[in-house]
Amino acid sequence: MMRGLETQPKPIGWDGKRLKSMLEESEAFFEKTGFYQGLKELKLKSAEPILYEKIFSKIRGGLVNARDTAMNISASPIVKEIGELCFALYTPEGDSVSLSTGIIVHVHTMSDAIKYMIKQNYEENPGIADGDIFINNDPIIGDVHNADVQTLIPLFWEGEIIGWVGGVTHEIDIGALTPGSVPIGPTHRFEDGIDCPALKCGANDILFRDHVLRCDKATRTPLYWKLDEQARIAGCHMVRRTVVETIKEVGIDVYKAFTREVIEEGRRSFLSRIKEMTIPGRYRAPAFSDYSFTNEARLPAHARVDKVMHAPMEITIGGDGTFGLSFEGADAWGWHSMNCTPSAMQGAIWVLLTQTVIPNDKVNDGAYLATRNHFPLGTWTNPGVDHVSTGISWFFLIPGFTGMFKCLGRAFQSRGYLEEVISAYGATGNCLQGGGIDHVGKQSATTNFELCCVGTGAGIGRDGLDFAAAMWNPEGDMGDVEVWELIEPFLYLGRRIKANTAGPGMYRGGSGFESLRLCWKTPFYELQNINGGKVFSTSGLFGGYPNACMYRLNMHNTNILEQAKQGKPYPRGDGDPADSEMLRLVDAETVLRDKLTTTLPAPFKEGDLYLSNLNGGTGVGDPIERQPSSVERDVEEGYLLGRYADSCYGVHLEKVDGRQRVDQEKTEKRRQEIRQKRKRESMPVKAWMDIEKQKILKGAFARPIRDMYRSSMTLSDRFAKEFREFWSLPDDFEMKE
Amino acid sequence: MRRIPKVMAIDAGGTMIDDFVVDDKGEFVVGKAQTTPEDESVGFFNSMQDALGYWKIDAQEAFPTMLSGVYSGTAMLNRLLSRKGNRVGLLVTAGMEDSLLLERGVQTHLELSYSDKLHVATHSHNPPLVAKEHIRGVPERIDLFGETVIPINEAATKKAVQELLALGVQSICICLLHAYRNPVHEMTVQELAEEVMEEYGTEVPLYLSSELYPKRGDLPRLNTLLIDAYAAEPSREQVHKIREKTKALGAPFELRIMASHGGTVSTSAKELARTLISGPIGGLVGGRHLAEKLGCKNVVCTDIGGTSFDIGLITDGQYTINPNPEIARFVLSIPLVQIDSIGAGTGSFIRVNPTNNRVEIGPDSAGSRIGVCYEEGGVDTPTITDCHLVLGYLDPNYFLGGDITLDAQRAHTALKKQVADPLGLTVEAAAEGVISILEENLKNQLYASIVGKGHSPMSHVLLNYGGGGPLHVAGFSRDLGFEEILIPTWAAGFSAYGCAAADYEYRSDISIDIPLEPGISEEEKGGVVDMINGQVAFLQSRVGEEFEKSGVSADQIEYSLHIRMTYMGQLEDLEVKCKKAVLEGPFDLEELISDFEALYGKVYALAAHLTELGYLLTTVVVVGRVEVEKPLLPQRSLGGKSPKSEAKKGTRSVYWQGEQMDADIFEMDRLEPGNEVKGLAVIEAPSTTLMVPPDRYVFLDEHLIFHMKTTRGGGQ
Repeated sequence: MMRGLETQPKPIGWDGKRLKSMLEESEAFFEKTGFYQGLKELKLKSAEPILYEKIFSKIRGGLVNARDTAMNISASPIVKEIGELCFALYTPEGDSVSLSTGIIVHVHTMSDAIKYMIKQNYEENPGIADGDIFINNDPIIGDVHNADVQTLIPLFWEGEIIGWVGGVTHEIDIGALTPGSVPIGPTHRFEDGIDCPALKCGANDILFRDHVLRCDKATRTPLYWKLDEQARIAGCHMVRRTVVETIKEVGIDVYKAFTREVIEEGRRSFLSRIKEMTIPGRYRAPAFSDYSFTNEARLPAHARVDKVMHAPMEITIGGDGTFGLSFEGADAWGWHSMNCTPSAMQGAIWVLLTQTVIPNDKVNDGAYLATRNHFPLGTWTNPGVDHVSTGISWFFLIPGFTGMFKCLGRAFQSRGYLEEVISAYGATGNCLQGGGIDHVGKQSATTNFELCCVGTGAGIGRDGLDFAAAMWNPEGDMGDVEVWELIEPFLYLGRRIKANTAGPGMYRGGSGFESLRLCWKTPFYELQNINGGKVFSTSGLFGGYPNACMYRLNMHNTNILEQAKQGKPYPRGDGDPADSEMLRLVDAETVLRDKLTTTLPAPFKEGDLYLSNLNGGTGVGDPIERQPSSVERDVEEGYLLGRYADSCYGVHLEKVDGRQRVDQEKTEKRRQEIRQKRKRESMPVKAWMDIEKQKILKGAFARPIRDMYRSSMTLSDRFAKEFREFWSLPDDFEMKE
Repeated sequence: MRRIPKVMAIDAGGTMIDDFVVDDKGEFVVGKAQTTPEDESVGFFNSMQDALGYWKIDAQEAFPTMLSGVYSGTAMLNRLLSRKGNRVGLLVTAGMEDSLLLERGVQTHLELSYSDKLHVATHSHNPPLVAKEHIRGVPERIDLFGETVIPINEAATKKAVQELLALGVQSICICLLHAYRNPVHEMTVQELAEEVMEEYGTEVPLYLSSELYPKRGDLPRLNTLLIDAYAAEPSREQVHKIREKTKALGAPFELRIMASHGGTVSTSAKELARTLISGPIGGLVGGRHLAEKLGCKNVVCTDIGGTSFDIGLITDGQYTINPNPEIARFVLSIPLVQIDSIGAGTGSFIRVNPTNNRVEIGPDSAGSRIGVCYEEGGVDTPTITDCHLVLGYLDPNYFLGGDITLDAQRAHTALKKQVADPLGLTVEAAAEGVISILEENLKNQLYASIVGKGHSPMSHVLLNYGGGGPLHVAGFSRDLGFEEILIPTWAAGFSAYGCAAADYEYRSDISIDIPLEPGISEEEKGGVVDMINGQVAFLQSRVGEEFEKSGVSADQIEYSLHIRMTYMGQLEDLEVKCKKAVLEGPFDLEELISDFEALYGKVYALAAHLTELGYLLTTVVVVGRVEVEKPLLPQRSLGGKSPKSEAKKGTRSVYWQGEQMDADIFEMDRLEPGNEVKGLAVIEAPSTTLMVPPDRYVFLDEHLIFHMKTTRGGGQ
């Protein structure tokens, strides 16, 4: 016998197997049969449908209760007020059985982490035993970004591993190069903040002291870290208790059978749901995102670029309900923190499918097994290199997945599920993020989560939801002003509807809003602006327009406090950018007002002003078909600037008794004019394509656009071929440098 | 026997008004009448006549002997839900004028089912209580420390008030940022508004957030203030009419209203918004009263109605308070007795999801339309009640005492087609399975509510009431090991009973946010004690003023002090009851800390304490209580174990654990104290049904309360 094997612990898997063999067998079964664990029949479910449901109900109840209790232990407003935490139960192989409410994005990320530990043979070293605690936040192993920190504990029954419980919370600061949870500035992962790549951090239900001390030093908000970790552990232990009780009640064999069948059933349910709601076929919707760092002196030379990201989404729905998603043609990863790992991409898929196709409490890894995804190697969707930064992967994930709502929207519409159609959501920004000395004189960091209330896309027959949801969290909440002011040294001078943020349409997108913050009682606080860039991520649906692109407005060394104290008018927002309230009423030494909506941190001090513009969603249908009375209301309540009623919607409003009223006759006339103008200005598609083709041949675009297409064509032969064919370009065509 | 009515409670619902009258022996009677929305005092009087008719006494004779009366009703809630309130003007900090349209996002998905919370296409904004044209901003800013950042602009404020008055508002609410910390700007607005009103020779009521709800949290504070002006004020008039009616009939007491904190307040109380919901609280208050009378310290109250299962805990004789509840899709800043609720009741719909062939119960419900068995209800989807019928738990001819006849065959047909056939089960097996899943859900929720708060069922008495409760109590309590299981014979009227048993009690809260850093000196602790006592004096004077309106003098009020606190940095606080009404020195602070530690340890058993971070005292709470007449417990002498023959109505075939069995059927009213009924038995009353399984029996005690026990011995 080889040396060392004698000291190997007794196998913890079922029937004396090693965990690694269990995982290999499970994968082989699925590969061979197409059924999870080869389960062609769901014996327990068909023989005992009631018992099956009772077990499910008990486990799901345990997960939800664990979340509710844990939520109160955490201190972070992200967890407590916004609810950014989630618990899940897994099989020994790491397949999710059931999830609590919360951040559904993690249906599969913790699975990846568990499978990683199994494949790396943690069973042997460092060992997996009852009472152990593991931690992971490494996106390459299984996570969206470092800020989502996972606690994983193994579950044992009579010496055998029977599963895992995972809990995840979103941290308010992650100890990265720049303060906050989603850093802009890192150019590789060594700057992404504290990294816990699936580490054992406790035994016998107690955290190792070295781990606790290490984490204490690794973030700017150690208190939140500590409380969040406690919340996750407490929640995992509560779930463990539920599982143990369930086994005591139904017996271990029934429990094992249940966990297998419920996943296979999840797979089948997903297929039938897709079949029921969509028309099979190939759906495509590209999306883009950009940033401008050319003049950013603080970045290393190779990272100082202006970039446009390319997300050519293609969804293929089979007649049997199979669902394939591909990003073939995406451009390359880069020296920035917006890269995504396949685990993060999975996260985005689940968060969107659970808002649309499968909004129920029965989602698990069965649904994952029913889908096929293609994230091409070397692209931002799957860099395939370990050193890339992923600190703010959401920066690409959010716009990158707008195509999914559009593709699904078309699929629902063609099947007749009109009420399910939603066009693309607005990007969740601006993100006010930073750190420094707060108003009680302490070191602090913040990520303001009012950004999870942006406008959703419009539907058919209804406008988008105004300022109330985020792509990654449909249960949006912007939180109380008085609570944010407890945490951040920035007073709200106003939180108001931001006119014209919604994408116009027959049904307009949901509106965004604006928050004007006055820096208060701090000698020094660094803040970033993080928002969509200069380009639209995507269009609306069926003729609807995109939502507005945003702008940055920061003012330093202002006279606002003197002005206000003298009773003079002061701004409560910016309002109409063409007649900026801030510029009109405040003098400042430095005014940063431009399209650089994503920046590295800049220092702020008392009296400085920071404007947060929150996005709207995209529209559906032609704006000149919108009900004129709805346009009237939009102008009256501040969703639309008056002059756009005419120019965009063709609605003629007149002031009667201080209120805007529609003039029906003039409106009809105006709309006729618009139609005539459109007719005059239109040309056959072929003629337009010829003009565009010349531009392509000359490379007559901004450099980032040329770079983007060149990158996509280099990485994907298929994309290059399709591009050349579509524009009738020569076979050897290459985009100019 | 001549009855001497002592206590009355009114439960005014949307369609019926119930009057509950208790006599000097603790016996009670319930009267019913149609609600009369134009003038509720008419319906009240009719209902009272109905009640007193059973005792053959008239109102003029009855009222002079009554010593206490409590009103609870849904009129205010209905007014709010249907948006039929006053035309309110609103003054907020400039820049916050869109608060009601923004409504923080959270209110677009409150009260949705889990699926709909995920399903973003179902979310929607609520119609605001105040139209944007009736909202004005006041240029001013106060920070979280109470410091003035931007002084108030008086000219702009006056102009805003003028504009609102010109628009014909019926009242003006004033809610400025951080006014809970420093009310000076709200008071200035008040003065200016009064000046303007005098100039214009008009007067509308003014509502100040700092005066009514001095609690951190701008949207909850604003919502609560608006509900007061919008819905509560117009409802006050209705209650006053009833109060006047009781006086005219010779009642020597002042009618009070049930409030969300579990006490009753005068109909003239300032903060009327807290009387918005009272039904489910009534049960818990009754539970506490019963616990006190029976000498139980810890009680779990459970209530099953047509749409929900409510759970409330009484620990050491006290219930927990939720300071930021969500009601009618509003986040609010009122203290509400903590009730955990899940959308599962006797009217919950049962469906088999065609996608995965799995049973789903609720969360929606047929409510008063009962089920498929009630043809007039127009329901096509089977409900839990339909299951009860096919299993024989319910007598189709004795639902609501026979007022409604149910059709068991309709229930059977619907269950077969929609549930049993898809699952491959017989109708009876499917119906029993559905009930067992429902009871499993209830049991999980019950267990979580107890264990999740750091307690054990073994140290708790389970109290069950509500029309649907006694049918399921055996099922959802099984194997949890409760100390005792109690079902009052007046289960269906228990909420009204609870209202009648409520204390006369005001509660006043104020945010303080005082940190207790680690290593704080004795002297500093003394300073904290002084700060707390300053707020205690303020709150006691507020409570005293409220009592004064009803002519209650200061020496009659018994005060208690509660402090909400948390570990530094945490947002969720816990309420600790102080042993003294006013703190005397640093020692009391230490006692408070150790009580907090003990409570925290109980609630979050598995999380370590965080003493090294220090503490944050968030809120001071003063409760003032005045002794009032409460219903006595019925007291009868115990008779023999065997029920009299007239109590037994016969037998009925009931499906139980896979087989048809004969169950004994009893009439609840005819059972006598001392009687024992063994399962399988069904004990029927007009508005509730108690199911006794084969391994259980019930014993009726001298207070007319059933005790459910197992025949196997051991825990309940």
